[in-house]
Amino acid sequence: MRDVAIVSFSQLRGDPEGGVPEVLMLVPVVLEAIEKSGVPRKQIGFTCSGSCDYLTGAPFAFVQNLAATGAWPPISESHLEMDGAWALQEAWVRLQHGDIDTALVFASGRPSNSDLREVLCLQLDPYYLMPLWPDYISLAALQAQALLARTGHTEKDLAEIVVRARRAALSNPNAEISGEFTASELLQAPYVSSPLRAHDCPPISDGAAAMVLVAGDRARDLCERPAWIRGIDHRIDAQYPGVRDLSVSPSARLAGEHAGVGRGPVEVAELAAAFSHEELILREALGLGDEVLVNPSGGALCSNPMVATGLIRIGEAFRQIHEQGRERVLAHASSGPCLQQNLVCVLEAD
Amino acid sequence: MAGAVPTYKLEFPYKRSLGPIVGAFLTGLRDRQVLGIRSAAGRVLVPPLEFDPETGEENLEWTRVGEAGVVRGFSWVEEPLPKHPLDRPFAWVLVQLDGADTNLVHVLDADSRAAVEIGMRVRIRWASETRGHMSDIACFEPEAG
Amino acid sequence: MAGSEPVSFMQQMVSLEYKLRASPVAVDFARRLCAGTITGHACPECGLVYTPPSGFCSICVVPTNTREHEVEIADRGTVTAFTIVNPIQYRGQKEREVYAVASILLDGASGTIGQQRLGDVDLDRVRMGMRVEAVWLPEEKRKDSAAMGAGLASAIHHWRPVDEPDTPLEEFAEHII
Repeated sequence: MRDVAIVSFSQLRGDPEGGVPEVLMLVPVVLEAIEKSGVPRKQIGFTCSGSCDYLTGAPFAFVQNLAATGAWPPISESHLEMDGAWALQEAWVRLQHGDIDTALVFASGRPSNSDLREVLCLQLDPYYLMPLWPDYISLAALQAQALLARTGHTEKDLAEIVVRARRAALSNPNAEISGEFTASELLQAPYVSSPLRAHDCPPISDGAAAMVLVAGDRARDLCERPAWIRGIDHRIDAQYPGVRDLSVSPSARLAGEHAGVGRGPVEVAELAAAFSHEELILREALGLGDEVLVNPSGGALCSNPMVATGLIRIGEAFRQIHEQGRERVLAHASSGPCLQQNLVCVLEAD
Repeated sequence: MAGAVPTYKLEFPYKRSLGPIVGAFLTGLRDRQVLGIRSAAGRVLVPPLEFDPETGEENLEWTRVGEAGVVRGFSWVEEPLPKHPLDRPFAWVLVQLDGADTNLVHVLDADSRAAVEIGMRVRIRWASETRGHMSDIACFEPEAG
Repeated sequence: MAGSEPVSFMQQMVSLEYKLRASPVAVDFARRLCAGTITGHACPECGLVYTPPSGFCSICVVPTNTREHEVEIADRGTVTAFTIVNPIQYRGQKEREVYAVASILLDGASGTIGQQRLGDVDLDRVRMGMRVEAVWLPEEKRKDSAAMGAGLASAIHHWRPVDEPDTPLEEFAEHII
């Protein structure tokens, strides 16, 4: 395998007015990621992006986003209707070909334009599930209930995860929610879908993120402390929630094994656990003990720009190595109902 | 400059081809019976899938299962959304129908959250008119007695 | 309806509502348009003039979102491409008569505006290179939609030929699609 590193990362919290077009959210982010990388824009070998036209509310909306890269003369690029973490995986595969050394990855999402509880039904099977319009919070709640029933964890345990995440988010300027709370005050809120309360669910956030990948020694020349992608894997569980044990995540476990999580100690894990209970399922699946610092950014519970969330987890993991001096960090992204798809990425310092 | 944000509507009127497995299951619902599919290992999938999700195996065998079963998981919704199947507080449920080895996702019409528990027996309430659609099962209801 | 035929199709209606939030750049453009002026943004690096403006140059990736980037564009220009439409009658179709739409390269702009309705013209006479000008809606009829960042059609009813020599093909050859 060719060694590929992340050398820069940039992220933007969406404007609360919501009037800025998605492409204008991306322009400053893409420019900053490129500038920090030291790679001239015209020399980037491959561009890969993630966004979702159903979130934007316009067919082929992703084509407009490409303008943020200055795609003239034509560039080599690809787009996924998925979280940008999968765009990063595609770019990593593309760099393995060996004919190019650099890639730009970006993602953007503005779920605030629509009702996610309806729009996300479109990711479900159209015959058995979609006709019932089971919203994503209710499906997550079925998973949370299954977890609590199997493990004996309580709603207070879930609230404690939220308390820790919101406290961690105090130092994250991109967080939508942060602050000091106590579990007992959170637990006074009513259920949205039992056993989940509003605090157990992610906020609706708009946002964008971009990063630059560089292969081989050139990454060391360009970046003081690049984050090397030493393992990356993506696995999928059966889609229909009734055919699997929702309290566990075999796909996350497999992705972790194939990404080589267990080959060394993990200092920090940035998990795309958008719901509080998902952190418990993922910790178990990935074998993360109490010694692992989970989501020092506050994670997706505090800011969840759909389809950029996973790429931001990888960006936060990059920061841990590049800025915080960590040696080995895990990043995770998820897609689909009830953690159906999971991507695990292991980043290491030199 | 206050005022409601204007909106627009995107509509996609799809006509979906069902194929031999989903089509047979929905035909069964129209005729007020529930069909499952048995894998070589003997596991009965309800609703039936075109292949066994664990082994990828096709060529499965049809079998009829019961209209009643056991709640294996639930989530209570106090404030239904406009597109939810019921317009009063209800529970999303995972129901293992009698004779099935997997759970069906649907809704349960119950009086309150306190009236729902894992392991309770529930039964299909059929829609007054059935047409070959998931909504032919109007909902589940607690089994009498 | 308990028929005996197997069920082989299923109707599915997906209906989703989205908020329409105008971008500040589009709102600015629409306000000036309602007042009778077409505006564009000039890129400070390459000089290309975009109308309607998007707030940045998509070639140089440079923001063009302040007043100093704004330029006025003429309400006349050259037809670079066109099509004559015989409207097929489907549900929701509002057009009944044959009509022409064109791409127009406005004087002072670097790119064409698309899907512009032509009028006051014999359809057999529509041609590439033809000079046209805007026929504005009366001021009171210009849709009160500036705040939503509406496009050219909210203020311009159609484009009609003007009595000028055609623009030679070589002057707009790069703009025919």
